[in-house]
Amino acid sequence: MTWYAESDTELNLSESVSRVENNKTILPLCDWTVLKDKGLISSREEYIERVREISFAMAEAGIAESLSKKDVEMLQMVQTLDEIDNVINLLTERAVEWHSSITPEFSKKYSRFNSAKLLHKLSNSENFSMKRVAREIISLTDVRTTLMKDVSKKADAVIPNMSALVGGLVAARLVLRAGGLDEISKMAGSSIQVIGAESALFSHIRTGSSSPKHGIIFQHRRVHNAPKENRGRTARVLASKLAIAARLDLYRGELDAEFIADADKKINAAMGETK
Amino acid sequence: MIDVNGTLVSKGKGGVYGEKMLGEYRVWDPYRSKLAALWYLEKSDWLKSSDVVLYLGAANGTTVSHVADYTESVYAVEFAPRPMQDLLEVSKRRKNIVPIYSDATQPQKYAALLEPADLIYQDVAQPNQAEIAVKHIDFLKTDGRYILMLKTRSVDIRKSPQEVFADSCRELEAGGYFVEKSIWLNPYHQDHAAIILRKAD
Repeated sequence: MTWYAESDTELNLSESVSRVENNKTILPLCDWTVLKDKGLISSREEYIERVREISFAMAEAGIAESLSKKDVEMLQMVQTLDEIDNVINLLTERAVEWHSSITPEFSKKYSRFNSAKLLHKLSNSENFSMKRVAREIISLTDVRTTLMKDVSKKADAVIPNMSALVGGLVAARLVLRAGGLDEISKMAGSSIQVIGAESALFSHIRTGSSSPKHGIIFQHRRVHNAPKENRGRTARVLASKLAIAARLDLYRGELDAEFIADADKKINAAMGETK
Repeated sequence: MIDVNGTLVSKGKGGVYGEKMLGEYRVWDPYRSKLAALWYLEKSDWLKSSDVVLYLGAANGTTVSHVADYTESVYAVEFAPRPMQDLLEVSKRRKNIVPIYSDATQPQKYAALLEPADLIYQDVAQPNQAEIAVKHIDFLKTDGRYILMLKTRSVDIRKSPQEVFADSCRELEAGGYFVEKSIWLNPYHQDHAAIILRKAD
């Protein structure tokens, strides 16, 4: 079926759109001369302009729909958070270097100060520019703290079940790396387990080195706090529960307390279990 | 195709993506565009002014804009929302582009919009690139030409590019194509091959 029906007397945009959307076959293809012979259009330019009206209408509706997906803003927020982290680290490192280059007695390695304390000290420096830089870093740190809370809150709303298992921040990072909630809900637990450990995974596939036990989910306390011999098991159990949680979040969108309680029990058991 | 002292250009209004201009011509960079790279490696008239083109994997519409400068009409298919926003903007300025927001693995979803194509150009980062080409064989005119830019790394990272290439050619031939020619796009693009196809008799 083409976007114009054979019996058309006039060309209606919304009808044409629904004809394209309901089409199930590849053939027959449009022949613009048919419309010209019927006197509905006068030229090829006009034909293309008609087709463009339909394709623009469909594209704009489609983009609006994809942008209205509930995870879109959350993903932007996590990415912003990670960028701010990068900026803070870079600037802090540079400020410390700067300070040590003008302070002969300063040793970065054996300083009494950690970088947060040092920044505080630099923010009262005599050196005007350095003072400004240090203060910017400190205020950026405040922004980071606020944004982190916002991300957690957003994640609790958008992906409540995943957030309940691993916390909003880690959950949001997992969704980000998977490419969105739609994508992560299609993934197997074993894939979720190694999100963020792609290079180790591919080197495992290529060379047969041992497979990675955990990627981003290592950031969750129950994985990194588990005794080393149980970490792989904990990661595996957690990841498989996350796969279920992702599907709950996509299709139901609300917290399933019973599922979470049961999952937590199994994850905690995996952490403590010894052979 | 037009070259000015050996530099590939196209004729059209500039300022689409910050491309360089040579007088009234837009410079078409082989390091950014695989189709431009193909021209530098094999100087042939890949695009004709009467061509109706189906372009799969249009992305931000940079290469599409050059193709549109040369040809009659371009049906440009793109699946990802962010690049599609850019493609719509490019299409607003070039009236012979029909931007289609759809998935090239499911041609029935946009088939109703298309016409038979003189040229189908495919540049998609998907594992099943040969399969996509086979699915589009009915959109090609009998004497039409198919340019498949094979991203071997998207097909299977574990296999060598040469293996992926050989597998893809076998699949294309089984699907009704005749492989006319193939060109590796080094040094412009690593691990990419241009495969030129026609319908088998």
